[in-house]
Amino acid sequence: MTTVAYLYVGAVLFAAGALGTLARRSAAAGLVGVELMLAGATLTFVAAAAGFHELDGQVAAALVVAVGVAQGIVGYTLVAALERSP
Amino acid sequence: MSVEQGIFAIASTACIVGAVVAVASRDPRTAGAALFLVLLTLAALYATLAAPLVAGIVVIVTLLIVLPLAVHLSVPAPRVHPAARPPIAAAALVIAAALLVTAVLAVAAGELPLNVSLRSTDGYDVAGFRDLTTGRMAVAAAVVAAALLAALASVRSVRRAS
Repeated sequence: MTTVAYLYVGAVLFAAGALGTLARRSAAAGLVGVELMLAGATLTFVAAAAGFHELDGQVAAALVVAVGVAQGIVGYTLVAALERSP
Repeated sequence: MSVEQGIFAIASTACIVGAVVAVASRDPRTAGAALFLVLLTLAALYATLAAPLVAGIVVIVTLLIVLPLAVHLSVPAPRVHPAARPPIAAAALVIAAALLVTAVLAVAAGELPLNVSLRSTDGYDVAGFRDLTTGRMAVAAAVVAAALLAALASVRSVRRAS
């Protein structure tokens, strides 16, 4: 399987996440969209790393995953607080 | 069609469908389940790209962080009567502390293969990565993490009920 196919999947994921972030008004849906965008970027990094036979992309992907975790925790906490507030 | 192509076809299709469902669904439970599916199929795609470390990180993050957060956000916590609540929090904390002490002792006894290198001259050292992820220390760390999560969840539920 060529690297281009993985890049297409990453692009579709990023587009779906961007569409969900921009089109939906719900905060939880926006968070899901941002997570999908980060997942698409991560897949692109890893596919590029495999295509260029370098490990730098995998390191960048690990960093993106760490950023996504931090963003997810903060975002979900905010959404939960917003939904509890009257 | 080779095995790699088959895995890519199945995983990419499930990933895209899951992404569309996660974005389009108005039910937070459905969206959370779809996001869970997307992340797990992405881990399969990373594995086919010869990136087992990233795949492992994504699986661990999905199981230990994203899934509990999604469940916490989408499933309402049940109301427990204060008189009927079991001392789960104290028991979970004691178990977690015991497992943590076990993990520290395992480190002191040299069970953790700290000298394993994940990189070799031609890429990942797959055997070393396997030793690191399947060692007793890794199992102990996973159990400790699960116990701490259970303790935190039980403490939260007890505080909410009281």
